[in-house]
Amino acid sequence: MNLRFFIAPVVLSAMLAGVSCVNKAHEQGNSHETARSIARTLGDADATGFARAYAPREFVFPRDHGPHPQYKYEWWYVTGNVQTANGRHFGFQLTFFRIGLTPIATTRPSAWATEGIYMAHFALSDVASGQFHAFERFSRAAAGLAGANSTPLHIWLEDWYLQGNEARRAAEDLSMRVHAAENDVAIDLTVDSDKPIVLQGERGLSRKSATPGNASYYYSATRLRTHGVVRVGGQSFSVEGLSWLDREWSTSALDKEQAGWDWFALQLSDGRELMYYQLRRHDGTVHPFSQGTLVSVDGVGHRLSAEDVQLYVVDRWQSLRTGVQYPSRWQLRVQQAQLDLTIEPYLPNQELDVSVRYWEGAVHGSGSAHTRAVSASGYVELVGYGSGRQGQLGPAVR
Amino acid sequence: MILARASRHYLRRHPWLLSLSILGVALGVAVVVAVDLANESARRGFLLSVEALSGRATHEVVGGPLGLPEEVYRELRITQRVRLSAPVIEGYARTADPTGQTFKILGIDPFAEGHFRTLVGTRESQADITRLLTQPATVLLSPRTAKRLGVRPGDTLNLRIGSNWRRVTIVGLLEAPDPVTQQAFDSVLVADIATAQELLDMQGRLSHIDLVIRDDDTELIQRVRAALPPGAEIVRAANRSQALDQMTRAFRVNLTALSLLALLVGVFLIYNIMTFTVVQRRVLIGTLRALGVTRLQLYILVVAEALVIGLIGTVLGTALGVLIAKGLVGRVVQTINDLYFVLSVTSITLVPASFFKGIALGLGATVVAALAPAYEATRTEVAAVLRRSSIETRSRRRAFAAALYGTALAVVASAILLFPSRSLLLSYAGLFAVMIAFALLAPLLTLALMRACRPIMARIFGIIGEMAAGGVAAKLSRTGTAIAALAVAVSATIGVGIMIDSFRQSFVDWLVFTLRADIYVTAPVVQTAPAAATLDPALVARLAALPGVSEISTLRRVRLDGPGGVIQLRVLHTNARHFEAFQFKQGNVADAWKALQDSDTVIVSEPYAYHHRLSVGDTITLRTDGGMHGFNIVGIYYDYGSDEGRVTMSRRIYERYWRDRAITSVGLYAAHLTDIDDLLTRVQALAGTQEVLIRSNQALRQASLEVFDRTFAITAILRLLATVVAFIGVLSALMALQLERERELAVLRATGLTPRQVWQLVTAETGLMGLTAGLLALPLGIGLALALVLVINRRAFGWSLQVAIEPTLLLEGLALALVAAVLAGLYPALKMASAPPALALRTE
Repeated sequence: MNLRFFIAPVVLSAMLAGVSCVNKAHEQGNSHETARSIARTLGDADATGFARAYAPREFVFPRDHGPHPQYKYEWWYVTGNVQTANGRHFGFQLTFFRIGLTPIATTRPSAWATEGIYMAHFALSDVASGQFHAFERFSRAAAGLAGANSTPLHIWLEDWYLQGNEARRAAEDLSMRVHAAENDVAIDLTVDSDKPIVLQGERGLSRKSATPGNASYYYSATRLRTHGVVRVGGQSFSVEGLSWLDREWSTSALDKEQAGWDWFALQLSDGRELMYYQLRRHDGTVHPFSQGTLVSVDGVGHRLSAEDVQLYVVDRWQSLRTGVQYPSRWQLRVQQAQLDLTIEPYLPNQELDVSVRYWEGAVHGSGSAHTRAVSASGYVELVGYGSGRQGQLGPAVR
Repeated sequence: MILARASRHYLRRHPWLLSLSILGVALGVAVVVAVDLANESARRGFLLSVEALSGRATHEVVGGPLGLPEEVYRELRITQRVRLSAPVIEGYARTADPTGQTFKILGIDPFAEGHFRTLVGTRESQADITRLLTQPATVLLSPRTAKRLGVRPGDTLNLRIGSNWRRVTIVGLLEAPDPVTQQAFDSVLVADIATAQELLDMQGRLSHIDLVIRDDDTELIQRVRAALPPGAEIVRAANRSQALDQMTRAFRVNLTALSLLALLVGVFLIYNIMTFTVVQRRVLIGTLRALGVTRLQLYILVVAEALVIGLIGTVLGTALGVLIAKGLVGRVVQTINDLYFVLSVTSITLVPASFFKGIALGLGATVVAALAPAYEATRTEVAAVLRRSSIETRSRRRAFAAALYGTALAVVASAILLFPSRSLLLSYAGLFAVMIAFALLAPLLTLALMRACRPIMARIFGIIGEMAAGGVAAKLSRTGTAIAALAVAVSATIGVGIMIDSFRQSFVDWLVFTLRADIYVTAPVVQTAPAAATLDPALVARLAALPGVSEISTLRRVRLDGPGGVIQLRVLHTNARHFEAFQFKQGNVADAWKALQDSDTVIVSEPYAYHHRLSVGDTITLRTDGGMHGFNIVGIYYDYGSDEGRVTMSRRIYERYWRDRAITSVGLYAAHLTDIDDLLTRVQALAGTQEVLIRSNQALRQASLEVFDRTFAITAILRLLATVVAFIGVLSALMALQLERERELAVLRATGLTPRQVWQLVTAETGLMGLTAGLLALPLGIGLALALVLVINRRAFGWSLQVAIEPTLLLEGLALALVAAVLAGLYPALKMASAPPALALRTE
């Protein structure tokens, strides 16, 4: 769940491609290009003065559901799979990224003066129609246009938001409204946690490489009961399902030797959840800091290291839109848990061609756990494919 | 073939004739092309920069004098989900360097911009967007501007914004995606919206909100309209630029017309020269006719000759026009800046249309000018050609006929001018008709004048004088057209001169009458800013309390944007006595004063009433903070300060309908026996470091006149150019006439005239012709001035002007004709006086 790591490498390629990119933007009047170049510039901004994640910390809720402006990057990542009573399936993603521009709180007189910006991605996978809808927004964290509060919980970018349910006040309980709408695509869902918060990595400190401080604070709500309305193509659907919240904040970038990652968040039919991210080197090999967590039925997280998990790409899919090839079917094994799953996307095309190009999509899987049949549903994120550093990405690109 | 050769031979033998006629065409075309290029460059520069800066916006939400509350943006973007929306803050700043360049500060939100402008995000390496967003007082500017100001990213720039000095840091360069945008960027400083609010002191407010809405999406437009607070309005983005473009239209039309005047003078010169060549070649033409050349062939010959001259002249004129345009565009832009709005155009755009216009006019004018002489050539009878006297007899007869036509045309022209129409085109057609009518009258008038002055000449200069007067009358076929052309040329300079004087005199009288306070304290004003800069309220209070100040009056200038265009509103706070400084054209000052105090009334300036066809008793609708509201007009006042016109209301009524409480300028009335200079010093001390303009009545008047003179500088330049054309015309026509007399003078020499006497004769003749032209030019010049002042200015701007005729101006016109004439006689006189008569006679 580390889209942020990608912002830095993109900056490098943007430096090379910058001018032509802008010309194209002008011809097409394409706001994405403008936003994209802004995002790249901002992603590269100086991290001086921002705090870094060096050691485990104490998490306090609901405070930590809110923003941590002393860190440069932060996000609220909600993904989920929902369906109607007669089985029409939808995957959704609503993500808010905070990018700090300065760690110093502003004292300027204008209400528009900002310390940071927000980027949000909203995607809906309409499996029945085979359609994937993705939207992106940017805004300054000022003038009431975008921002985040912990109490009451409110993360918003204009009229896209996550809003805490005031009725449920228990500290670790998470209950919120997930709302986004663009054109004729909208979600309006309520999510309620069934399990306690899971701290990822080492008590919430998730190290991405051997470099000290190259880490994030990372927690998840792995099983959120979800119900509400999905609107698409002029129709409204009453839906139910499961969602997942990922929260991370840090000030670090991807290590030079890392090209990208594949992230899995799966809710198993036996009541457990599995999170695993695999960091890739440029030659395609697995970086040793890849790791994951297997969450038990009662909500206890069990750490998994790179050696604990075997991930094989079984099939690939090439985007017609961007020409980028992504893995699209996997064999995932966790030896010590005797878990063996075949995972595939609900739709092959769940590529977000926005300012940061990546694949993030609803997946389902089936296999066995301790010889019993098990199925899975969840989200996969694939980052760093065809990023403009072709030739260094290894087999994934070719 | 033989015709072409004859023609070539003739023209080669008369190189001065050829070159002077080419010069005449060239100058006329040059002036037209130059004015058109300068006009078009200024206009395109303006329209393109507006377009580039408003980007793809189709609509704008605008507010009152203070702009829009920023909540309106959140309401539209978040609650109403108008996704294609962008907040904009606009203001003006002036650099501290002595040249004091004015920049538009464009405050934008880069994250909402993508659909509107390609401003930020270009060349990441050159713009530090993080600093732009997070650091106060940071701006981006174009590379060309940076070069011009000699600054680089990281440097600072001192700006005067309103009454304050602000130091801004340049954090990057704006790479424009195309040359058009680049030109627009040349006078822009781009800042983050937060920075712009802080620099312009607009916290909580926006200048406008840009929207992209499809025209047929009336549902969305309605929804936006419904969501707006009462003082705000949605307007089409093009409206604003159109309104601004419209402001300068009359100004541009008049410049074009004046340039056409220069061309018209040129046309007369060509006509004169072509007539002359036909008359001079009568023998040749007669011979050709005898040889069997048809009338049509002769006709074509003369027109073809004119075309060749026209073509060469036009090509040269176009090139010259580009050169003149380069000098002129700065003047045009300066005038627009003084009168209308901030505009930065430093180079000319070579608009193809301007060249086509110049070429078409140049060639067309020459051909038209040649039609009559060509017809004249075909009328030449085989038998008659050898007898000069018959021509002259006929030409005298024709003078009467021409005079008849001229009188008829003059009647038509007067009717056109007096016809109550608002059309400028029609007015100029009438003006040009007057000139042609007068030209037709000129030969007869010349005859009459010569007959009258012959005895006087005889008495003063003896036989030579008498001969000269007789000669001018006797050679009417040549002298008549020459004098007519010269009179027209000279009259143009007189007419435009009187027009400028009349204008200036009316302006001065108005200033003297209107400016009554002893000292004026004004916030620095930038044209077109929706709300002019304001004075610190504390300063106003302290000024009022200053010992020696008996009373103050205050003025607030605001611009109201609306669907109907732009309205300049002046909010006045004064007392009944000082209010009498208004001279009313319609309505009663005392009644108006009373009405303005407590009812919803306004007074409007004469041009405003003219443009909007309003009179006392009518109602105008203004967009107040509470929505549209009607105000009754209780007076129309003379005002030469603005050609689009202004609306004035009392402060009490203004404050009833608008929240704005600011003041733009204060007039201080000194108490009895107060020393003004001393008071001025104390006012200056009081203002301290605030950047306000403190001027005595005298100084303000002076400054206003300077602006006035600057705005008429182009007119004066055009007049000068017309004068040069006229001068060259007089010179060439008279020189040609005299050089043609070689044989006649040789006969006179042979019969005993001394070289000195020849010299005297030639000089007396040209002098007499110059004088005649000059004298005839006087009534025509005055007539032109009357048409320009009483008809054209009135129709273009709605002003009532008094005609002021300066005697010196008339004398100048006379002197111009005389000096040119005498100069024209010098070379032929010298040549003929020195040539042995035998040599000249040998050509026989």
